[in-house]
Amino acid sequence: MSLKRKSLAAAALFLLAATYNASAESYCEQGKPLRLADVSWESGAFLTELLTKIFGDGYGCEIEKVSGNSLIMSHALITGDIDIYPEQWVGRTEVMNKARAEGTVRAAGHPYLDAREGWYVPDYVVNGDPERGIEPLAPELKSVEQLADPKIRALFSDPEEPSKGRFLNCPTGWSCERLNTAKLEGYGLDEYYTNFLPGSGAALDAEVASSYLRKQPVLFYYWNPTALMGTYKLLQLEEPAYSDECWDGLTSSDPKTQACAFPLGEVVYDVNVKFADQAPDIIEILSKATIPLETINEALAYMAKEKAEPADAATWFLKNYAHLWTNWVSTEAAEKINQGLN
Amino acid sequence: MFPKSLEFSISQPINDFVAFLIESYGETFRAISNFILSGLLQIEWVLRALPWWGTILIFMAVAYLCVRNYKLPLLVGALLMLAGMLGLWDLTMQTLALMLMATLISCLVGIPTGVLVAKVRVMRNILIPMLDIMQTMPSFVYLIPAIMLFGLGKVPAVLATIIYGVPPLIRLTSLGIRQVDQEVVEAALAFGSSSRQILFGVELPLAVPTILAGLNQTIMMSLSMVVVSSMIGARGLGQQVLEGIQTLDVGKGLEAGVGIVILAVVLDRITQGLGQSQRRD
Repeated sequence: MSLKRKSLAAAALFLLAATYNASAESYCEQGKPLRLADVSWESGAFLTELLTKIFGDGYGCEIEKVSGNSLIMSHALITGDIDIYPEQWVGRTEVMNKARAEGTVRAAGHPYLDAREGWYVPDYVVNGDPERGIEPLAPELKSVEQLADPKIRALFSDPEEPSKGRFLNCPTGWSCERLNTAKLEGYGLDEYYTNFLPGSGAALDAEVASSYLRKQPVLFYYWNPTALMGTYKLLQLEEPAYSDECWDGLTSSDPKTQACAFPLGEVVYDVNVKFADQAPDIIEILSKATIPLETINEALAYMAKEKAEPADAATWFLKNYAHLWTNWVSTEAAEKINQGLN
Repeated sequence: MFPKSLEFSISQPINDFVAFLIESYGETFRAISNFILSGLLQIEWVLRALPWWGTILIFMAVAYLCVRNYKLPLLVGALLMLAGMLGLWDLTMQTLALMLMATLISCLVGIPTGVLVAKVRVMRNILIPMLDIMQTMPSFVYLIPAIMLFGLGKVPAVLATIIYGVPPLIRLTSLGIRQVDQEVVEAALAFGSSSRQILFGVELPLAVPTILAGLNQTIMMSLSMVVVSSMIGARGLGQQVLEGIQTLDVGKGLEAGVGIVILAVVLDRITQGLGQSQRRD
């Protein structure tokens, strides 16, 4: 009897589950809007537009784009005011580390793998550029340690403090700014270089672009994937290999006596966990949507060269890299996305 | 929909022009930039080398000379003291140096231009719309090319501050001169004064209170550019505000904000007092 009852209950449950599954509509068909963080940097803006096209055209989602800086958007993701944060570097901010540990936010996939960042100089500083008539100014420059050399220092001289070189750090308040400041101290370069904060991403880009056009040397921090990387020929200075031990010393102890390269960045699509539970269909697509780093650099360089909007770059990508993204979505959605491109 | 055939874009020629300027005259612009920078660094060096109490005393003395009472100097002293106690002394001095440099150039450019606007009708018709453009054009639009030409940091910050801050000085100088009683000018003419003597002996002295009101407005508007300046790499109070905002450190941002307000109140009351004492004389 009891066995019968149990099996009956099990059967009922199974049936219920089956009907539920059959009638399970996709997240967007339930009429819920998909809220994306519209972050301002190039690759973030590109990814936001790409997701907008994929989910908006392919799956009929109503897309709401909310703009704000990285920190405010991270908070909005934790509180559930937005659903997807398209490009988050893992382990860079306390707030996100805590949210990940508490389980309010989780990664749903990787927009690209192995993001690199570091200290760069234009390639012509070391190798020259016969085509543009530039003699190499510092042919021996290879690694960060050589920056202390007075001859090299003089190349990057800071007009506001001519006795020192100028190191262009990250814009004020970004997490990379603190790390670079620590590295400058760890390499013992803080007495030879001013830790120059450009204030905004636009100002940093403008200074690098201007130096490149004037064929002048410039020393700066930069990261992949970016239009700048796709547009100019830049050289990354070598640093001691990354180790957990060195990194811990760099981020926690004072004074800092050593430093090393940035870890290869893990970059993810971050989603709010409550949203993720309600939208398995969307999470599944995100988990597949990984783009090779060179392809993103290429799309961003297209954006910069043609002065295209991020939305146009997304269209360009969808037109030229169909073999990539058609694997992420259903055939039906792929058709709809293709229709949207014309 | 607006017809596509009528659309045009000036963005590509402008981009090409800016690139051309940088490639061909980049070094000339950097030389101008270094010249302005050396003046600014000297002001900054003096302000930062003075002991803190010396600076406060100088400010109190200037305030006293402007108003001839004890209330304002005491207020000025207390406010500057507060800025120091909030740990903002060095940043405040850096911002002050930038303000002083911008105000100095604003006066050198603004007062003669104001006289020109008052005297020459054609100049008025050309310059007044330009002043409107200077005050409404979003600053980053001209700041990014300015950075590419003049480099990051203090110099483009000074330029941006002048562009935004100088219009009231020009407007009020012109107003002050046009408001001078025509009978006074006629009297001077009757005594056989030349037009130069009329300008320097009659019109400008009578316009001083209005010009000072313009200077006061210029300083106030310059202070509202402090945060924008920090977004192009100028150090000072603005940088701390920016840092506070970017890292959601509300308290830190507010502290630096208070520093800017203190600087504004001090400079405002001193220039206002100067204007009023001129009026009394």
